[in-house]
Amino acid sequence: MSTSKRIVGTLAIPVIASIILEALCLSHGQNIITNAKSFDNFVVYAAIVMITTIALSINLNSGRFDFSLGSMAALSAVIGAKVSYAILGGGAGSAALMLVLTIVAGAILGLLSGSLYVLLRIPPIITSLGVTLIYEGILYTLTSGKYLMTEVQNASMSGFVGTSVYAFLIILAVLAFSILLFDHTKFGFDYNALKNGQKVAVNTGIKEVGNAVICYMICGGLMGIVGFLNAARNTNINGGQLNFGSIAIMFTAFLPMFIGSYIGRFSNEKLGFLLAAVVMSLLNSTFAVFSNEVTASMQSIINAVLLVVFLIYLNNENLLVRILSPRKK
Amino acid sequence: MKKKLTGLLRIAVAGVLTFGMLTGCGSDTGTTTSDEGTKTEAAADAGAETEDTAEAGKTVKIGVLVADVSGEEALGFRSYYENYIAENYNVEFAYTDALASAEDEKAAIEKFAAQGYEAIISLSSADRAMQIETCEALGVYYAIASGVLDESQYETYKGYEYFVGQVGPSNQTEFEAGQEMGAYFKEQGIKKVALYGAFIPNPMHVYRTAGVIAGLGDTYGGASDMDAIAGQIFGDQGVDLAKVAGDVEIAAYLQGYGDTTTDELNAAIQKAPEAFLSVGMATTFFAQSLNEAGIAFSDIDSFTEMNGAAIKEGKLTYLAGKYSSSIGPVFALVMNAVNGNVIRDAEGNAVSFSQGYLVATDGETFDQYYVSDNGDSPIYNKATLDGMIGDDITYDFVKSLIESE
Amino acid sequence: MGTNKKTKAGVKKYKTQQMIITVLPFVALVGLFFLFCGVVQSKGYRLDMYLKIIFNEGVVLAIVATGAIFIYTLGTFDISLGAATLFAATLGVTVYNSTESFGLMVLTIFGCGVVCALFNSVLASVFHIPAFVTTVAMMSVLSAVAGQIITTKGGALGGISIPSEIVKPYDTPVFKIVILVIFFAISFFVFQLTKVGRRQKFIGGNPVCAKLTGIRYNKYAIIAFAMAGLGVGLGALLTLIYTPSVTTTTASSIGMNIFIAIVFGGMPISGGARSKIYAALVGGFSYMLLNDVLELLIDNSAAYGLTQVISAVFFLLVVYITGMNYRSTLLPR
Repeated sequence: MSTSKRIVGTLAIPVIASIILEALCLSHGQNIITNAKSFDNFVVYAAIVMITTIALSINLNSGRFDFSLGSMAALSAVIGAKVSYAILGGGAGSAALMLVLTIVAGAILGLLSGSLYVLLRIPPIITSLGVTLIYEGILYTLTSGKYLMTEVQNASMSGFVGTSVYAFLIILAVLAFSILLFDHTKFGFDYNALKNGQKVAVNTGIKEVGNAVICYMICGGLMGIVGFLNAARNTNINGGQLNFGSIAIMFTAFLPMFIGSYIGRFSNEKLGFLLAAVVMSLLNSTFAVFSNEVTASMQSIINAVLLVVFLIYLNNENLLVRILSPRKK
Repeated sequence: MKKKLTGLLRIAVAGVLTFGMLTGCGSDTGTTTSDEGTKTEAAADAGAETEDTAEAGKTVKIGVLVADVSGEEALGFRSYYENYIAENYNVEFAYTDALASAEDEKAAIEKFAAQGYEAIISLSSADRAMQIETCEALGVYYAIASGVLDESQYETYKGYEYFVGQVGPSNQTEFEAGQEMGAYFKEQGIKKVALYGAFIPNPMHVYRTAGVIAGLGDTYGGASDMDAIAGQIFGDQGVDLAKVAGDVEIAAYLQGYGDTTTDELNAAIQKAPEAFLSVGMATTFFAQSLNEAGIAFSDIDSFTEMNGAAIKEGKLTYLAGKYSSSIGPVFALVMNAVNGNVIRDAEGNAVSFSQGYLVATDGETFDQYYVSDNGDSPIYNKATLDGMIGDDITYDFVKSLIESE
Repeated sequence: MGTNKKTKAGVKKYKTQQMIITVLPFVALVGLFFLFCGVVQSKGYRLDMYLKIIFNEGVVLAIVATGAIFIYTLGTFDISLGAATLFAATLGVTVYNSTESFGLMVLTIFGCGVVCALFNSVLASVFHIPAFVTTVAMMSVLSAVAGQIITTKGGALGGISIPSEIVKPYDTPVFKIVILVIFFAISFFVFQLTKVGRRQKFIGGNPVCAKLTGIRYNKYAIIAFAMAGLGVGLGALLTLIYTPSVTTTTASSIGMNIFIAIVFGGMPISGGARSKIYAALVGGFSYMLLNDVLELLIDNSAAYGLTQVISAVFFLLVVYITGMNYRSTLLPR
């Protein structure tokens, strides 16, 4: 593939989406991003979507359906918030401490989830159903089903999302980490081999169990970051998410995952996830501009229709190319 | 060993008996709901149990249906029942989890009834009509403590035997609370506001929002009266800013709580409103952001610690609130009913009392209501409630007490 | 000789394990049932009322999940069935309120259930989209549209409803048991006694082989989704019979509980030859019994979280035991 084709392929969707969405906002007399504050929010949301998408794709690409992402994010954030509040009482450095603790808590939760999967050897979708219920139950018990507010409402936390700098750094760090790990290490090579041919890979001596557990641990750590960013952005954590109330976060990552995978054909998949997250964040900001006209229900419908239309295109691309390309005489 | 065996046998026998009961309970249910005779019998049973309970001084069991377990108001109410009322009366409260749907509400009522609970106090409103009908069929007393029935529903159910009544702000009161809040900011000379409609189409939030618009001196779709504005808001499923006209500009509007709320709040803040008017849960969701942005905000909520912090240290400048013990009278009505004195209004119907809001605009006024309603000395304390509970308590007496508060 | 003995012992052990696996879901159901009765009685609560509650809680799940088994057997899953139940009930109420015809309401509910399910099937088979993704999208669309209708038409009441006297005569265990038995009998017939069930199992077990033997996937996918649609219609009708009102959260827990019910009943989520038509019935009621037993034992409103944790651990344990004969050297996917 030529470099120019790669560049065009990589940037086409984000650029076209930006133009369309900005035009829509302009028709409403506004811009998608109006000032520095809204830019900060835009970056933070893009970070949340990108990291969730990467976490979802790690296991889903390997045929492991994981419903527990949302519960890991919320539970790790509650653990991080409670411990950091107990140590610093919401004072200076609370956000940094909570971020670290949340990542560690998330990684441990992921490790437990992965260990359960490899020990029980039951299909990952079922393990994740059980794990989701367990984590939601613990979350509820820790918070009595209430919103956690005092622990996450302090100057340190609001300062963290009050600028786009930290979110940028997190995006760069996660991107670099995942590209390095999955594309340039033995673990990554093993992961890709297992993803593309489980039996052959195992027969060649790749240790599947260890690889799978590490994948779950990474997912947990990443969802810890998401939990932290959500807590800082929303200034609360919802502790009352029983009976699969936490799984919605996973569904929001489907569209960026497919868009990201498409962009990844022209460049790198992880970079694709970042660009897809940017598109989703632009869409989210546009929804905010049109919040008086486009209700929450309408937003759900628009997101779902976009997902289906994109998938129809993706799965029938060859057919469409055949139909639309001029016939050779 | 013998004990274990006996236990197992008991369980086994219970199971075997159950098969018979399953068929039996099918026919029972049919008659309970449709056959007057059976219903009277159930009622007589309940009455007999009640007398026994009162005489033996047994604990009265009251189930509480809740939809919100996190809001400041809900927490305040719960604390009052569980920490004050339960301490001072021989009563046991059982709370549901956050009920999400009408099916959940019905199942919760049935479980309370199966466990021998004598009354239900409802703070959940997915389907109030169904709640009343279910309690009537099961012979369990029922009272509403938050969000009253609309007029036609009240007319339908006011004659039900087990419907004790409702105590809380009427839709008119909700409208007036919003209206006073709007008027307060208008009087301050404010020209540009942002508005949070909380959880529209929840009726109480619709009426409060309609009140705010009217209080600001604005019209909505050309209308300025309660029913016309509220009706349009129900139809629009929110506030359409294009329909707002008047001196005070509503620069931004948002409602609900979801993924885009932070962006919407930010967009609202960018429009530099002089005040952020909320009809519920502003402190829970937005206090930190609004404090940082330096925007004065208002709320209709209750007198709780967190709202106190927001009004003293933050930018909360107007709070129309219920005090946590405002659900005391409902408890008194339920206790009277369980003890055999079902208080009825002059026409012999279930009672309907409206409660107003108290307003605080500074820490000092807030403390007046909060401190006097807190801990061991709530506004509806034991002495006041004792005056409302008894065999000779009448409708007029309760009415005068509630309306004098 | 020694090897032969070992093989025989191995076969015997395998057979015993198979028997345990087959019987375990039933044993769990019966055990939980007796435990439930014992707990209710020991606490002095009304057992007759509790049985009715359990039945009402389980019957909608059991019916919708029984229909869903046809989809799961194919090796795919539909996460939108809860939303479809809400949507069907919403349209049913809307039609009743416009026409005051109970018959039309029932027809609408069934029509809607089947059309929603078939739409998923068409999207999946015609446009070659993975079924689970289309159903995720459909879940959002159906709940959003139903929510819009409910909030617009519900106004000050917050929900839409039909007069309770319309459905009250049907709100009896006898009527619901009859519905459950009829639907289960139809499902059993289609699944066990016709080639449809056999071929669906074949497709679920090995889609490539099934295709090579001339089995048309689309045909059996359409039948599967249609059966699930019937289940959705019945579920929506029974939901309305229990509470004649629909709010935005009606049937919200069904979508995910279907997974639990099916797996709890001893069927693998991957479908195929080990699919069992009774799984949802057994699993659905077992799960409800388990939850209620725990709720009764941990008699504290703050313990809802703990109840869910214990329930989930028990669920994983049952799945682990029922899957013990199917472990492979590779991790399952």
